[in-house]
Amino acid sequence: MRRVKLFFFLVAVLGLATVTACTKVISSESSLPSWHPEALPEGRADCTECHEDTVKGVLKPYASFSHSTVFIKNHRYYAGQDNRLCAVCHKPSFCNDCHANELEVKPSVMHGDRPDREMIHRGDYLSRHQIDGKIDPTSCFRCHGRTNNEQCVACHR
Amino acid sequence: MKQCVRLMMLAILGVPSVASAVDLGVDSTTLIRLEERSVPGFSKEQVYPATQFLGIDLDKLGDGNLSFHLYGWGRLDLADKSTDEGTTDADLSYAYLAYRFPQADAQVKLGRFFVYEGVAAEQVDGVSARTDLTHGFAVSLFGGAPVKLDLTGDNKGDYVVGGRLAYRLPGLLELGASALREGGITTGESTDLKDYRQLVGGDIWLAPFKIMEIRGHSNYNTATSGFAEHSYLLQVYPVRPLTIVAEYNDYRLKDYFATTNLRSLFNPDRDETLRSYGGSITYVVAKPLEVTADYKRINYHRADRGNTNRFGGEVRLTLADRKVRTGLSYHRADSAQSANSYHEVRGYVMYRTTKYSASIDAIGHFYDEKVLGARDTDYEVLGSLGYHILENLAISGDLGYGRNPWYDKELRGVLRLTYNFNYSSKGAAK
Repeated sequence: MRRVKLFFFLVAVLGLATVTACTKVISSESSLPSWHPEALPEGRADCTECHEDTVKGVLKPYASFSHSTVFIKNHRYYAGQDNRLCAVCHKPSFCNDCHANELEVKPSVMHGDRPDREMIHRGDYLSRHQIDGKIDPTSCFRCHGRTNNEQCVACHR
Repeated sequence: MKQCVRLMMLAILGVPSVASAVDLGVDSTTLIRLEERSVPGFSKEQVYPATQFLGIDLDKLGDGNLSFHLYGWGRLDLADKSTDEGTTDADLSYAYLAYRFPQADAQVKLGRFFVYEGVAAEQVDGVSARTDLTHGFAVSLFGGAPVKLDLTGDNKGDYVVGGRLAYRLPGLLELGASALREGGITTGESTDLKDYRQLVGGDIWLAPFKIMEIRGHSNYNTATSGFAEHSYLLQVYPVRPLTIVAEYNDYRLKDYFATTNLRSLFNPDRDETLRSYGGSITYVVAKPLEVTADYKRINYHRADRGNTNRFGGEVRLTLADRKVRTGLSYHRADSAQSANSYHEVRGYVMYRTTKYSASIDAIGHFYDEKVLGARDTDYEVLGSLGYHILENLAISGDLGYGRNPWYDKELRGVLRLTYNFNYSSKGAAK
């Protein structure tokens, strides 16, 4: 009984210490909004049309996140550091159009009505994939090395 | 599949108990693909797969900070089989509860979700948490079971844990350190890999001047004791309409491919390296007109592959208040092996209003050698028409025609029905 009391006493002290530490350690800055408060126009968003300075919390300039051609082609660098900012405007299903464990259709087929969007594997990629894979297999691996490769298994057993 | 359904049911049944004045979002896309494939010497195939994509978002649950998110798809083949598997298939991409704290961008997720944090790009059944700390620090942690594939789940572990610690100096620097460990991996017969996957990595964002940014990361595989990847990007904006980019990537494939579940394709037993570098210049001539030229040198240190120069350019033009968007591009892959060299030409034009949409997209490839010994060119022309029946309900259809080394004729149609419902209890709709 004494041991049980001692255990609960220790848990209470540790819990109190953790809560106290957290209040000192955790930032008191308000969070980013859960969703961009205004609807954005169609096409590539340019954050600097409305925003200046740095993004609160993320602490980088808004200009860094404007959806230029460079941003879109290199968005993996941004997502690895700032995916919570991506989530202010994009639902996770937006990423799932291309990045998923198991993808049902090519992104360019699912969005055949949006030729303006950067979609990989347009046209006859069945012919081209064996060339691109020989030129640079690392570009395949990011999406098909451990996930989204059920179609690959049909031939590459 | 059963696991997916169980998880989805559990998540959905749990929601009403915490629901009050919720915001509801439903995104539905129904695709019916109509394909006729003709291979010389074989009978024609008619493939009509119908796929339903469904996303549900419930916000402002409980005290207003709790939300639930679900996305998945299911397919039924209406004619010949569209894949080598069965006539039906389904996948649950994510289904999770998220609690967002009002301060510190703190968030906890529970269920099936994706993690993109430093070295981690994982789909997990588990829990994750992140928060900003004082003095510019931030921390994130996740753990659970990696989501396996139906057919190639033989190289995924029983559990995966990881996290990232970041330090930021406002407007100047972000440094990140991340780690991941996946245990209980079935390594199969033909490998000497350990039964775990381990990665540690560092990432950086540095803006020493207003006109310059450096981004990048290095990942080290502690299971194979070698650097898997170094990838860095330098962006310079000397004047507002001009962006100059330089990139450098270095991979040691033994460490990068170590735990693939497609060993026949990504063979990590060969000790090879791949290094690529290049850059691009983008110039915005005027707001609607953008021109990009790019170059990349890929040095694949493997005797039968050799080096490749990729280069090309793209022009994008946006007119009539973004209603008309067009693009024209040319790219060349010039490889040491002529069998791996080709030209690519693409052009499109799209017209899109709140009521109608129409587009034509054409792409062609001209190979230096015949592919499959059959043909040295391929092309595809795709036309699309769409109409918004209601504000949130749209129908569109695509019709594509092409010839390529696999099919002497490929006729493809897609019928697409999209429905987006948003109910907001107060304030702006999502």
